[in-house]
Amino acid sequence: MTHVVSEACIRCKYTDCVDVCPVDCFREGPNFLTIDPDECIDCAVCIPECPVSAIYAEEDLPKDQQHMTAINAELAKLPNWKSITKRKDPLPDHEEWKDRTGKLSELIR
Amino acid sequence: MTASAAPSPLPIETPALVVGAGPVGLFQVFQLGLLDIPSHVVDALPHVGGQPVELYPDKPIYDVPGIPMCTGRELAEALLKQASPFKPGIHLSRTVESVERQADGRLLVGVSGGMRFLARTLFIAGGVGAFLPRTINLEGLPAFEGTQLFYRLEDAGDLAGRRVVVVGGGEEAIDMLDRICRATERNPGSAPAHLALVHRRDAFNASDEALERLRLLRAGGAVHFTAGMPTGIDTTDGLISSLQLLTPEGTPGTEPLDVLIIAQGLSPRLGPITQWGLAMERKQLVVDTEHFQTSEPGIFAVGDINTYPGKKKLLVCGFHECALAAYAAAPIVHPGRPVQLQYTTTSTRLHQLLGVPHPGRG
Repeated sequence: MTHVVSEACIRCKYTDCVDVCPVDCFREGPNFLTIDPDECIDCAVCIPECPVSAIYAEEDLPKDQQHMTAINAELAKLPNWKSITKRKDPLPDHEEWKDRTGKLSELIR
Repeated sequence: MTASAAPSPLPIETPALVVGAGPVGLFQVFQLGLLDIPSHVVDALPHVGGQPVELYPDKPIYDVPGIPMCTGRELAEALLKQASPFKPGIHLSRTVESVERQADGRLLVGVSGGMRFLARTLFIAGGVGAFLPRTINLEGLPAFEGTQLFYRLEDAGDLAGRRVVVVGGGEEAIDMLDRICRATERNPGSAPAHLALVHRRDAFNASDEALERLRLLRAGGAVHFTAGMPTGIDTTDGLISSLQLLTPEGTPGTEPLDVLIIAQGLSPRLGPITQWGLAMERKQLVVDTEHFQTSEPGIFAVGDINTYPGKKKLLVCGFHECALAAYAAAPIVHPGRPVQLQYTTTSTRLHQLLGVPHPGRG
């Protein structure tokens, strides 16, 4: 089991979640955060922090987001995705993107 | 188990030490008390209640048996009250640093601030870890903790005539400035020579009410604001003389100081628990579901920090674990004494322990 960041994070990247992670398992890409499944301890503390409710326990992922488990794992291993442990500003056009769905094609690796 | 250098004061002897004063740790104290096992409890936070109080004190909780709704803060208060007949020693703002088995089987537990416990049993109710202050990573800075670098106002001592820099961009930093200014109002002699707030830019993540307080403090001249990201420290004669900054314009800046207070809030850290040599799985303590004992006899793990097949991180599961762990500890604490299952409705002995009147036969 792990926790998974769903598509809702794409192009917003609020980063509130990284502040509370006790094991520093978030990795940062250009317009998305991912969870390293080998580090996550399923504490669930990050879930209520996300302003767009992007984070789910793997088993609770909505049907249309289940592909994100594999994508999280894959992105976490990319060498250019670095550990992020301190909150920073969201992406400049987060307001415009936060309520959109089907953002997967926007994801930059 | 890590070895600890022995500080001087005599350790506090206790049948049980509970690490973590969250809901589960507090209920562990209660369950131990019912089995006539007095305990001490330590927590990194300055208050009891753990994660629910630190992260979401006013959010309603709906899944505690028999309590249709309560907040995290109310739950913590109720659990503390429930445990109070057993008069636990409660030690706050302290973290456990080492655990070492003694020749007689007891555990010598080293706690921050030079405190030590000699415990027959240890209950780790550490949740997601100790809530510790977020720091800034600057080369050479940690060496000044306690002399020029502080995370709590109480530790910073006398600020009179000193140049004080508070670093932070949220509610915590504003509260810190507020407290310093209120202390100055009460006692003008305690005023810092200069009070500065440093944050990477002139925008703060705080409630409207806190932002208004900050605006007033700045408008009144009590607080000076400098925009910049800390990048290093300058030292003179072995003391920090200023903070090096990178301004939002990308140019270097400095902020002179005598005292640096970092007020960026707290974040949970699993920390030293992972280094005690206990069996772990995905950074959680492996326990058996009969005793909730770790791989070390006499060391139990309850609540969110443990793992076992089917584990669910729910309050109700943590509470159940406390009961079974207390029963498992009883033969270690009271060898040879039979462990009887008793009910708080009927048991004279439990009424005695709880300090409540024993109802006569009607």
